[in-house]
Amino acid sequence: MKEDSDILNKIGRKSGMTTPDGYFDNFVAQMTQALPEKETNIESVAPKSTWQKIRPYVYMAAMFGGVWCMIKMFTMMTPETQPLSFENNQTLAEAVSDETFVDDYYMDGVNEYDLMEDMYEDGFDIASLY
Amino acid sequence: MSGKDIFKEDAGLIAQLRDETTYREAFATVIKIYSEPLYWQIRRMVNNHDDANDLLQNTFMKAWSAIDNFRGDAKLSTWLYKIAINESVTFLERERRRLNISIDDEESHLINTIEADNYIDGDELALKLRKAIATLPEKQRLVFNMKYFDEMKYEQMSEILGTSVGALKASYHLAVKKIEQFFSDND
Repeated sequence: MKEDSDILNKIGRKSGMTTPDGYFDNFVAQMTQALPEKETNIESVAPKSTWQKIRPYVYMAAMFGGVWCMIKMFTMMTPETQPLSFENNQTLAEAVSDETFVDDYYMDGVNEYDLMEDMYEDGFDIASLY
Repeated sequence: MSGKDIFKEDAGLIAQLRDETTYREAFATVIKIYSEPLYWQIRRMVNNHDDANDLLQNTFMKAWSAIDNFRGDAKLSTWLYKIAINESVTFLERERRRLNISIDDEESHLINTIEADNYIDGDELALKLRKAIATLPEKQRLVFNMKYFDEMKYEQMSEILGTSVGALKASYHLAVKKIEQFFSDND
């Protein structure tokens, strides 16, 4: 591909443009002076105090302490229940040892027939119920 | 330093730019090396000395503020050219909006700017070439200026403009054809 034409060869590489006298020398001097100071990003780092060093561990310990206290508090608030046994309940032990009580109240397998038979034996008129 | 030499990367300069104790002096060297080629690149786009001067200052200010981010992935020259071209293109867009100029009217606006330019050497043929270049679409103008005046390699242009070498060659070829046509139409 033929790149430059005869016309362009005739003109040469002159642009026909000029600059004021001493422009580039002045520009370099003025531009160099006009450059603003750059902010340095280097920050002075102060040494860490003992408190700053241990602070994360203290906070972590306080957090675990708080959790432990909460668990403890909930445990204390929950009513303490002991299994009902003859050994630790005097009233129950006396009631069970009383034969009358057992006969009257401590019977299982009570059905309607048994009740009516007991009532009949006690002289209760069962017909009056109906 | 010629337009071709600025693409030779100076490893020592890059190292100085990264050193906090030397970066200011190193950047002064960058300004010294690149101010002239970047100025002409901008000037050929905006066609006015005062605007080119402002845009060149903006280019170096932006480069200075972003120099910490320059990691050397791209060449320093490529990076600076990208900033300069971006500044020029943004300026032209801003001017189009400010003056309410459509893309179609941009050619006549650029020709008016060229005719109003005070810093010219009076070469009629060169002036005609500037007017011919003003008729080209923006990207074609960029490609033509970089190839014809700066004699940049297509590979370097490709890095700066982010366009394939093939597309750049085609674009330059078309630009030359249009300029020839302009000259034949305005004989």
